[in-house]
Amino acid sequence: MRKIIVFLLLLLLLFSAAGMEEVYVPTQRDTKPAPALAKMEQPSLDAYTLLYETNSAVYYWREDRDILAVLDKANGYVWKTGADIGFSKQIKDAVKQAKTDEEKLIAAEPIEKSMNATYIGVANSLITIEYRDGKIFYLGSAAEKNVDSTLQAVPGTDNQFVLAVDFKEIDLQLKVYVTLLEKGLQYEVPIADITGSGKSVFTALWITPFLGASGGEAEFYDPATGDYGDTRAKYAVPGYALVPDGSGTLIRFQDNTVPFMEYIGDVFGPDLSTETYFSTRETDALATKNPTMPVFGIAHGNQQAAFVAYAEQGAEYLDIIMRPEENLRLKYNFCYPRFEYNVEFYKVYNRKGSGYFTKAEDLFQYDVKMTYLFLHGDGSDGSPSADYSGMAQAYRNHLIEKGVLTKLPNQEGDLPLRLDFILSDMKKSLIGHEQVITTTVGDVREILDEVINLGITNINAGLIGWQAGAETLARPDSWRFHSKIGREQDFKELFEHFAAQGVDISLAREYATINPRMTAYLGTAAKHINTWYNSNNREELFPAAPVTDFAFALPTVAADWLREIARRAAPFSQSLTISGISNLLLSSYDRQGVTLTLGQSMAAYREAMQTLSEQLRLNLEAPNVYMWQATTRFLQAPVGSSQYVFETDEVPFLQMVLRGTMEVYGPYSNFSFYTQEDILRMIDYNVSPAFILSKQPAHLLSETLSSGLYSTEFEQYRDLITRIYKQVNGALSQVQGFEWLARKVPANGIVVNEYKNDTDTARIVINYTMQTQQVEGQTIPPQSAVVIREVSE
Amino acid sequence: MRTRARILLLLLAVLLLPVTASANKATSYTYTLDQKYRFVRTQDAYLPDKTITTLGLSKPADLFIDESGTLYIADSGNRRVLLYDTARGQVKNELSHPGFSSPTGIYVTREGQLYVADPGARKVFQFDASQALIREYDKPASPVFSDIRYEPMKVAVDAGGNLYIVGEGVYHGVIQLGKEGEFLGYFTVNQTRLTFSQALQRLIFTREQLTNLVDSVPITFSNVFVDPAGITYTTTMSIRYNALKKHRTDGANMFIDRVISTEALSDVWVDARGIIYAADQSGYILIYSPAGELIFNFGSNVSNLDVAGLFSRLPALAVDKQGIIWALDSEKGYVQSFAPTDYANTVYDAMGLYEKGEYQASLLQWNRVLRLNQMSVLAHNGIAKAHFHNEDYEQSIGHFRVAGNRAMYSEAFWELRNTFIQRWLPPFAMGAVALVIFNFFLKRYYKKRGMRSLSNRAWRALCKTPVIKDVLFAFVTPRHPVDAFYEVRRKREGSVLGATILYGLYFVIFMLYQTSKGFIYQFVQVEDMDITALVTGYFLLIGLFILCNYLVTSINDGDGDLAQCYMIPAYSLMPVMGAFLLILGLSYTLTYSESFILSIILLAGVVWTLITLFLALQNVHDYSFRETIRCAILTLVFMIIAVIIVLIVLIMGEQLLEFLRTIYEEVLRNIYA
Repeated sequence: MRKIIVFLLLLLLLFSAAGMEEVYVPTQRDTKPAPALAKMEQPSLDAYTLLYETNSAVYYWREDRDILAVLDKANGYVWKTGADIGFSKQIKDAVKQAKTDEEKLIAAEPIEKSMNATYIGVANSLITIEYRDGKIFYLGSAAEKNVDSTLQAVPGTDNQFVLAVDFKEIDLQLKVYVTLLEKGLQYEVPIADITGSGKSVFTALWITPFLGASGGEAEFYDPATGDYGDTRAKYAVPGYALVPDGSGTLIRFQDNTVPFMEYIGDVFGPDLSTETYFSTRETDALATKNPTMPVFGIAHGNQQAAFVAYAEQGAEYLDIIMRPEENLRLKYNFCYPRFEYNVEFYKVYNRKGSGYFTKAEDLFQYDVKMTYLFLHGDGSDGSPSADYSGMAQAYRNHLIEKGVLTKLPNQEGDLPLRLDFILSDMKKSLIGHEQVITTTVGDVREILDEVINLGITNINAGLIGWQAGAETLARPDSWRFHSKIGREQDFKELFEHFAAQGVDISLAREYATINPRMTAYLGTAAKHINTWYNSNNREELFPAAPVTDFAFALPTVAADWLREIARRAAPFSQSLTISGISNLLLSSYDRQGVTLTLGQSMAAYREAMQTLSEQLRLNLEAPNVYMWQATTRFLQAPVGSSQYVFETDEVPFLQMVLRGTMEVYGPYSNFSFYTQEDILRMIDYNVSPAFILSKQPAHLLSETLSSGLYSTEFEQYRDLITRIYKQVNGALSQVQGFEWLARKVPANGIVVNEYKNDTDTARIVINYTMQTQQVEGQTIPPQSAVVIREVSE
Repeated sequence: MRTRARILLLLLAVLLLPVTASANKATSYTYTLDQKYRFVRTQDAYLPDKTITTLGLSKPADLFIDESGTLYIADSGNRRVLLYDTARGQVKNELSHPGFSSPTGIYVTREGQLYVADPGARKVFQFDASQALIREYDKPASPVFSDIRYEPMKVAVDAGGNLYIVGEGVYHGVIQLGKEGEFLGYFTVNQTRLTFSQALQRLIFTREQLTNLVDSVPITFSNVFVDPAGITYTTTMSIRYNALKKHRTDGANMFIDRVISTEALSDVWVDARGIIYAADQSGYILIYSPAGELIFNFGSNVSNLDVAGLFSRLPALAVDKQGIIWALDSEKGYVQSFAPTDYANTVYDAMGLYEKGEYQASLLQWNRVLRLNQMSVLAHNGIAKAHFHNEDYEQSIGHFRVAGNRAMYSEAFWELRNTFIQRWLPPFAMGAVALVIFNFFLKRYYKKRGMRSLSNRAWRALCKTPVIKDVLFAFVTPRHPVDAFYEVRRKREGSVLGATILYGLYFVIFMLYQTSKGFIYQFVQVEDMDITALVTGYFLLIGLFILCNYLVTSINDGDGDLAQCYMIPAYSLMPVMGAFLLILGLSYTLTYSESFILSIILLAGVVWTLITLFLALQNVHDYSFRETIRCAILTLVFMIIAVIIVLIVLIMGEQLLEFLRTIYEEVLRNIYA
């Protein structure tokens, strides 16, 4: 017999009746209902030749346009790697040459309106190169002229092919190895196979930019007049592109009325050492969020067909680009990976800053490996569904298979709470600097005791500014304590005291940002490609701080600093909290060229973290994917996007990927993340609450680099901590250890998250609206979350 | 299969937090002013809410929102006015009139009448609530107006139906038309601002020359608005202060204090609470209290990103009754909205309650603000004022201090001091009288017995110790400068060691005076001081005086040698140092209204010191009055020359150091790069 228990947890409140009349108008921060159904018509593949067939897919090739077509046997949907459109001149010539009306009709393909020959070449091509010769040029492998490309089978295999492309215009040759998977594609571009003198101008490579593109406007042939004239929009597939902006963002395919810029997701953030200028300045606009994962996807229709694509090699040089319709005045929505091989930068030759723009002599040395997996249906057959939930599942499966993520043993009990403490920071003094102390070791003990007495026991904490000199002036590996905060012995006693109660406290430190008052740059700071130290000015954000100019530590040096702190902390601490190097990846150069590549920097971090993770838990602030294997706690997980205006929906893609493999914490609730909507979002996005606290009021920090911590005094937060934790824990503890299967939006403002474990299934229904809603037969009060749990017997 | 539902209703009353925009969603920082009038970051006040990109706008120039939440957009490039229902998120109507050329300004009255200013058509159109044309306001026929361009860019209308028009290139002021279109005059005009060279020209040029100059004209207004209470506001571009004005009915500016803003204010809106919202066309939104104090400033001039909350060009804004700001991006054709956070709403509530005199209620709200931002000068000020009005001066004084509000701190301090005096004056006075009586009898006792008190004897013995005697001689010189410095000339009093100790003591006093005065009088905070400048300034000044004076007197038959020149300042500075000490002590007890006492003390100290110094020069060098004056002037001139030389040497030295540093860096770069 199967017993079904429904727990309804009403986590919030009935608001004024006045508000209930209003329609819920969603913003780009909401997830909207799924797109409309797409037409599932199978296009003609007459111009294609069969390449290979598996149990799940059939692969075809069109030689003249360099297009792979993939027929998904599960739903009959055909994916084409290119737009499959002819060059206008060639079509018109063919029509002219056709002798009969019937032949004319066959030859008279629609003529693309918004594209010139270059872009038609790009839209069809399997790969496109970018080169810079004064200005930027694009050249597709199926360009109208000056390019030869041939696809040949790799001897001894039946599912591997190589496309050899000769870009004669600039004398550049490269080979793309294509592997046809069970239902997917894999591209490899070894650096060794990029040859020719054109390497000096070659800057980037795009892979199948128009795979999954939607839109287009074409001129159609009119048999009555025997000429082209009727211009109309082509069928625009409803759907969206998923990009890894923040927690994950959908950009729905739309017919826009204004031109937009494109989304550029520089995976793992920009390499500051190869940016155009060596000097950067923080402004009053917040930085956009950098992708932590090299993944994107496109979905067509409502759980009908989709693909997810991820880089297995070369991710550190990858930009994920999504061009919404009207970008470049093109009538298409399209999304693709761009691998960077060279950059233009400003070479400074004197101290005044005079210089000129130039490129590096050598290409970035790395191999590309990009995998595409095709998805179908709603997931009822056990395969990942054809939407962003399925993309997350497919990418997560890949990471688990590669050992990057490991499923945690079944978890039960309360959700963890993250409490960070700001102990001190530096401000200017009449002579030198003064360490402003906001929390002592004794204060931490007192506050934690009080929180435990409030009934919250699953706590972990990080101590920020514990060194003499604090984060501002103490070198990251400094092991000098400030007696007024606490001696080493005091810290030790504190850690051990709470470890006995199951509270894990760690020393927190930012390891990447350095300044000349903290350490000499020689041998410690990374250098820009123009051989100057990278420089970052923050005066606009911290006008009163004692230091406003910064550089960035060499990743190898930062890794050594981390090891040093870990060595000293390990005897009494169970974990370490690490920021800066968790998501800042950069290379370094000298006059001879690169001294540390991005790959080497990643390896240096990964190696240090991997070793440390064997003895300590690592709490990393928003770590990039190459750190995940060593991560125990993912801190400051984004719960939104950069909010480009063309982004239409925010989704918890990141959280779905990470679910059940590590603890994930949201941003500090102190700073505009405490309202009811935010609490619901924590539940929706499955993140644990986090706070930053101090004993003394935060205004003491106003002249320090911590002046952005506007409010931290525990006295002010006691009630809020309890309130937020109890609500979030009340809902999410019900699904601890459950797998997160899907996320659905039945109506604007309503989200249903579906979970299951070995025996039970559960749903959390979140009502963001101001009205009472009926969802799946349940009444959901306004601004509340309800857990519906079904237990099998 | 059986289904059983267990329902747990957790009605958590404590969760009644206001539902406002939330979280981690800002795309630009919010700034406010700190106690030192610096722009500093604060909690997010507004967060990007909606971005409407689907309206097909072309160069939209103005917008207005009415009570029902209908947004009126002057879609200039498309020659229309678009009506957008913000509650439902859809277009409601489109008003195209054949007379429209490039509508750039709109205003909607309470009755729903729509006014459209169109500089291309050179008209203001008036429509009724159903968007039917009522009338067109052409150029007024008044002869006064005959030579003036009439290209209405912006329009506002008061309750009486009078129109306030900002005209393209009209620097005479805001054009005021009556209900029937008659020219009433210029409502207000900006003052003419002269550049430094223009001011100089006015000062020195002849009348003929001045007539040949191009006339300086006032800056034109950029926008005009009439708020629900009928008060008119204007904005002006290209000025950083007082670019926002709140006008009386006679056109004069009602803001008393200087209004701080950015330099390109393009629009203004005022809500029913009197909160003023201003747009800066480079992408900033500024919010002011009804009194013109800057509360928040957010946005950015980073315009190369298509990110919500950022603008390429921001010509206009409007605020709906929920407090949501709607703003235009004229280059990109977007409409964006910003929802106030809990933080902003609490600030507004607290200010409103305070204005109404509900101090206790405002205190609660200010405390909520403080919970969200413990660095908020506004909150500290608000709390302090509320406490002050509740006569809780002890509580208020701490908050005034954090807020850097010296004037109000002084007021609160006066009250506290008053209470202290009232409480402790009687016992203190009685104690003082008792002490005087006791001292009187003690002296009589000693006199009767022919004894000197022990302390008196010890003091006299101490005074005879050579070094101490030389130091204490500094107390004699100001009182008897002629005799005392005569003794110095005779080398019977004073010593180099004593003078050195005095310089040390003076330095301590000088530094204490600079850094440690009471809050009311300590205008520069220690962390903002330049310690190098203070130390160098002190020693350089004294050193230069000694050296220059020695050099001058050496060639002018002065009797004093170097040691005596060294002693002159040491034995002359005591009055001003005494004044410093006295001021230091009094600065903890006096309020602003008594600052004249400190000024008098300082003046007395300086004058006394100058007189002493003059007499010291005269007596030590045995100069006549005239010779002394000449010596003083020459010393001063030498000092100035020396300062110039020192500066040149310093600059050259700095350049040399920089050169050496560059070589060192280049060597390092060549070795390690």
